[in-house]
Amino acid sequence: MSNEEYLASGILELYAAGGLTEAERKEVERRAAESPEICAALDEACAAMEAYANLHAIAPRPELKQQILGKLQTHPSLDEGPSWDTTSLPAEETSPYKWMFAASVVLFIISGLLSYRFYTKWQQAEQRLAKAVASEQLMAQNVRHDAQHTQQLEQTLAIMRNSAFRAVALNGVKAHPEASLYVYWNPEEKAVYVDRMQLPAPPSNMQYQLWALDKGTPQDAGLIPTSFEEAGMLKMKTVAAAQAFAITLEPKGGSENPTLDNLMAMGSVEI
Amino acid sequence: MPDQTIPKISEDTLIARLRARDTSAVSLLYDMYSAALYGVIVRIVKTEEVAEDVLQEAFVKIWNSFDKYDAQKGRLFTWMLNVSRNLAIDKIRSLEYRMKVSTDTLSPAHQASFADIAFNTDHIGVREAVEKLSPEQKQIIDLMYFKGLTQSEIAEEHNIPLGTVKTRARSAVKVLSKLFKGSV
Repeated sequence: MSNEEYLASGILELYAAGGLTEAERKEVERRAAESPEICAALDEACAAMEAYANLHAIAPRPELKQQILGKLQTHPSLDEGPSWDTTSLPAEETSPYKWMFAASVVLFIISGLLSYRFYTKWQQAEQRLAKAVASEQLMAQNVRHDAQHTQQLEQTLAIMRNSAFRAVALNGVKAHPEASLYVYWNPEEKAVYVDRMQLPAPPSNMQYQLWALDKGTPQDAGLIPTSFEEAGMLKMKTVAAAQAFAITLEPKGGSENPTLDNLMAMGSVEI
Repeated sequence: MPDQTIPKISEDTLIARLRARDTSAVSLLYDMYSAALYGVIVRIVKTEEVAEDVLQEAFVKIWNSFDKYDAQKGRLFTWMLNVSRNLAIDKIRSLEYRMKVSTDTLSPAHQASFADIAFNTDHIGVREAVEKLSPEQKQIIDLMYFKGLTQSEIAEEHNIPLGTVKTRARSAVKVLSKLFKGSV
């Protein structure tokens, strides 16, 4: 393209108005550097657009000048030229996400560690609580047991202190010299208690039975439970009148009349 | 609007001082050209906040790569404007890319402020210039100069044949050239 054609093509005006791409601009600058004629024409077009820009000028905020000049003085000069690339901007903009990602990973790890720590603590607490509950139950059981025992002792004491009760010692017969027990009888209240039993363990199908002898007639005074554990006095059936008490071994459930062959011990009520 | 009190020194002297890394020359450079550059940048990026960033980036780049400016290839202002315009266009493209959805909702506000700037034609020179240009010529020039569109982008986006775009741009610059001859 000759210079005349080039000038007439309108490309210099497009350059001045900013309508060319970077590559097209480079080409115009190259042609302008080669030819003074083109250079002058380009200068004229650019001067016109510069004047147009001046007409549309808008003064920035006055504070901006110091801000920008301050930036230039602190900014390292020259060698930085080629690194001036707008692609560095998006890289900076991704950094909050990187930061957030890193933070979320750290939070995840911390929460994992805390979860493990709290889980083990909870487990330990559960174990300690189970032990505490067990020992508390044992304690309650002991207290109940002690209370029962105390009650039995109080009952025993009350009976022994009560002068209305007659203590009757039942001694083992010839066949069973080791057997012995005490009967406490209150003729006024007709109450009968058994205490300090020393009797051999009965066979599994048999059971001891107490008898009150009134004028030679035996009267059922109650069965001794096989499972009875001696802790206090055992309350028996009421007896209105008796001169003696005896204990026999009878089939389970007791008998209407005592089996005299199985007489274990007997004793008279002292007048 | 350009300040009448701006101290004017010759472009050659200014260029020589800038080449010598004379930092006081930057202050002069700023006084002489910042308003004209800012006027173009604001019209491209449409918000003053972004325009201030772009102006700052432009001056940093101008200062740091001043050795790349070749007076043989063109006027100082034209080179500075090209630097600023490239930064401004990069900015709106990246902004558009990043906030495509939000700009859609914000655009009426932007357009309102842009309209205020675009029709801020109180200056007698602007009115004269605008009266000398046909509406078609003015449209092409403003799309190129103040929106940063290339000739082919205008042809595509505004459905105008490329040849017509070239013709209108050329005649518009000629009109302005005649109008301002000797004033710059």
